[in-house]
Amino acid sequence: MTARNNKTKTITVTIDGKRCEAQFGQTILDIARANSIYIPTMCYLTKVEPIASCRMCVVAVEGVEGMILSCQEKATDGAVITTTNDEIHEQRENIMKLYDVNHPLECGVCDKSGECDLQNKTMEFGINQQDFTARDQHRPVQDWGFISYDPALCIMCEKCVHVCNEIVGDNVLAISVGGYNSTIINTKQGQECSNCGECMSVCPVGALVSTDFKYSANAWELEKIPASCSHCSAACQMSYEVKPESIANHDTKIYRVTNNYEFSSLCGAGRFGYDFGNRGVEKDIEKFEETLNAFRKSETISFSANITNEEALIFQKFRERSGVKLICSEARAYQKFMNALATTTGHSLYSGDLKKLSHSKGIIVLGSRVNDDAPMVKYHITMASKRKRAKITYMHPIEDPSISNIITQFMKYEVGSEEGVVALLAKTLLDGRELPVKISKYLSDLDVGNLSAESNIGEEELEQLAKGLLKKSDFTLVVGADLYEHPKAENIARLLGVIETHSDFELIVVPPATNALGVSLICELDDEALGYTIGYNTKGDYILSSMGGGDMDMPALNQQEGSFTSIDKRLVPTHVALPYGGYVLNDIMNSLGLKKKYTISYTKQLPIAKGYSQIEFDSLPDYFDIDGSEHRGYLLENEKVPKRVELADISDLPTYDGVVIYRCDTGSQFSPFTNMTEQLNREASLRGSSQFATVAKLDDGDRVIFEIDGTEYQRVFKIDTSMKGTVAINPTYDMGLSSTSVSYYRFSKSKLEKMDS
Amino acid sequence: MSLEQFKNRSVGTQTYKMVDYEPTPDTGMGRFQRVVSRTFRGELFVGLYVTMREMINALFGGGMHTTKYPFEKLPISPRYRAIHDMLRLLESGHYRCIGCGLCEKICISDCIKMDTRYDENQRKEVTEYTINFGRCIFCGYCAEVCPELAIVHGQRYETASEQRASFSIFDDMLTPKDALGQQQEFDGFGAVSPNADDNIKKTPLAY
Ligand code: SF4
Ligand code: SF4
Ligand code: SF4
Ligand code: SF4
Ligand code: SF4
Ligand code: FES
Repeated sequence: MTARNNKTKTITVTIDGKRCEAQFGQTILDIARANSIYIPTMCYLTKVEPIASCRMCVVAVEGVEGMILSCQEKATDGAVITTTNDEIHEQRENIMKLYDVNHPLECGVCDKSGECDLQNKTMEFGINQQDFTARDQHRPVQDWGFISYDPALCIMCEKCVHVCNEIVGDNVLAISVGGYNSTIINTKQGQECSNCGECMSVCPVGALVSTDFKYSANAWELEKIPASCSHCSAACQMSYEVKPESIANHDTKIYRVTNNYEFSSLCGAGRFGYDFGNRGVEKDIEKFEETLNAFRKSETISFSANITNEEALIFQKFRERSGVKLICSEARAYQKFMNALATTTGHSLYSGDLKKLSHSKGIIVLGSRVNDDAPMVKYHITMASKRKRAKITYMHPIEDPSISNIITQFMKYEVGSEEGVVALLAKTLLDGRELPVKISKYLSDLDVGNLSAESNIGEEELEQLAKGLLKKSDFTLVVGADLYEHPKAENIARLLGVIETHSDFELIVVPPATNALGVSLICELDDEALGYTIGYNTKGDYILSSMGGGDMDMPALNQQEGSFTSIDKRLVPTHVALPYGGYVLNDIMNSLGLKKKYTISYTKQLPIAKGYSQIEFDSLPDYFDIDGSEHRGYLLENEKVPKRVELADISDLPTYDGVVIYRCDTGSQFSPFTNMTEQLNREASLRGSSQFATVAKLDDGDRVIFEIDGTEYQRVFKIDTSMKGTVAINPTYDMGLSSTSVSYYRFSKSKLEKMDS
Repeated sequence: MSLEQFKNRSVGTQTYKMVDYEPTPDTGMGRFQRVVSRTFRGELFVGLYVTMREMINALFGGGMHTTKYPFEKLPISPRYRAIHDMLRLLESGHYRCIGCGLCEKICISDCIKMDTRYDENQRKEVTEYTINFGRCIFCGYCAEVCPELAIVHGQRYETASEQRASFSIFDDMLTPKDALGQQQEFDGFGAVSPNADDNIKKTPLAY
């Protein structure tokens, strides 16, 4: 992707006789592509820095000796460029001949056949014989878990290595150099990488393929259903690829997920967690009547934030009509947080987004185990780290070794001291700024010594942070779910608003669930449930469930069309990948008096006052431009709201001693929906460092039982040698309906009881 | 024949041979006489003789020409496109199909379906393969596209059955294991051309 800021000047180049306008700093290949001029490439991947391993992209530039690699050479004003001539063609032919040396003749079974760059270019250059020779060798297929690597098919384009290092940030793949014997090596063989599948998606040949998908279908048999990932708030672009399950069973099955890998990425949950559909449901009119009655007598509707904007609006309309209470534990705290934030920023939304994050040179992450909470945020931080050499400060009570390679400063604060941390941060970042009297007085009145002592954030650390940000530009502050349910969440939000308004930092307030942002904008949520409660994918007296097993079945998010509101403050569309035979929410509501033909009839009615636009679902665009700009749905307007800066004094910070447990879904898990899927399903365990084990008097493998916020957990305790400190991590993704009803500060003191095994 | 000859519509200039006809009698007597003379000509007995001779020859001399279908069947041209056969490798006896899906893709009636999987030997196993003969138009594209000469058109042209499915199961189309010796190479669509060997370019082996 090309960074484009306003400072760049316009240049004109001539490519194959065509005059092309471009920005200074763009590469020849970028300009050619933007002007629909074809230059063959084998190793170019738009989303990473030029790899320059294939030399297919050579062009001739008038007045310049030799051939120029168009993928990495920046165009100069007035350059006259020829994309092909006899010499260049011959060179490209030779490159293709070399790629084809001893390449196994196995297109017939290869998963990549039909969408293989090597096949395409071999045909394009008409290579039908092998003039070169090399002694072949046995190169067995390697099983890396979710992914299989076949070195015999690998053409050493290095895309996988770059994407793993530059975007995912796991640095798992490396090149073993050795001429014809070169291969890609997985430095984490045996242990698991984050299993995101990014390497596999960018592989231009069949060298990296999904172990599960392998040999089960051909590319051309699969129908691509454009969609947005429903697992987290990044709502990444993707396609479900579907085909009938088998000759005997004609039910549609999702075989795999692919994405527009040139411009966007997916994490492991999106890539491998796709089979969460609610299958085999039929219309049962008696059940339907029963559901209608349940709605008629309901006083509360409680739902998870894994719903579409349209469903959220349906609930809101129903609330307006019948006066039921709406409960969404996942989004309520976030909504309050955003409202409090808006009082000091004067805007309904935060200012940052992922693209700006990836171009930032100074980044602070606070209150989120970002690698697990929001992998896309982590990817964009990685890009900033690798490309902009950004200063990245990670502030959290638990150190996360999986991101240690990209962060420049780790600041560990005490559990519960977030309010103090934010205040200190505000003081540091706003130091020396022109501020309204009220705010500057508030900041100078802070008892820094005390806050620093209680939160364990040293003043030297803050100085180091401030120093690191000197002489830099483009800053982003990312805050996450630890803060929203903090007892002092609203004051924290107001302080963050002050930082966003008065410093150069852009703010991203990571939504804690897929559509938490959408729900918080669309619904008027209540705090307390009352009386007879309908639970939609969460606990209740009458349960509508898309996980199966409820009182009434509902379609899962890959069986519905609708939209999500993503972390980028963008409304993105998703479509139906799997058929659904039962009733949907809109059917129920139609019988209760809200009259709309389809669920997506509501898309146009989303509240304009909250930044939505009046656009029909069917007119929402869903593509990326050749230059990588995103045209998916539309961006929400950041509406002006009344501003009223009122900061509360910070009293003593709470302390958390003894056994502390952190609620966090790790390893490509976000919710019961990811855990339902075949490839991701995994037993949840309580993980802690050996230090934690000592404090809690536990051994590796002990079965423990404990209660947090009314939910009882039975877990196997595992010692995680990569962890440090005295806080253990407890996932909730396996808790079904109760995992979507959690609403408590993510850290909790708890009493662990050992169970007899 | 050149096009000129077709274009020449002047009938009279061509070499027609006119048949000599007796003039048709125009009196009643004349017509009666013609009937009598035609009826009692010896030709009648020549005809009866020929029939008798052929009958005796067929019954006792082994000269019968009737094919006793369905007990007997005439051989058909190798290029004829009847119900498909799936062939096996002669060496290993393994079915030839590699599950590449090209036949499935090319089939204009969209009537081929297959299920494949990654098997224990790291090969692509064809677990199920079927052709819907209710839709197949016997165009031969599948046989032509198959890179392995695995799917070919066989000689079974009788496609009446209680169930079409009886033709379309993978195992029924496959050469029976014990009849591997009788498996015929296919000469029709998509078969190796007689000069295939000449067209192969050898890979240099310098080591
Ligand atoms: S990687 Fe491409 S060229 Fe190689 S076997 Fe697979 S489809 Fe064929
Ligand atoms: S799956 Fe992701 S983390 Fe693992 S090697 Fe591939 S790109 Fe790297
Ligand atoms: S595994 Fe694929 S992406 Fe990686 S170097 Fe080989 S061909 Fe390129
Ligand atoms: S003969 Fe033609 S119609 Fe029949 S299966 Fe083959 S390709 Fe399809
Ligand atoms: S084309 Fe031949 S090898 Fe390929 S799937 Fe069809 S029958 Fe099998
Ligand atoms: S695309 Fe330029 S070197 Fe490969």
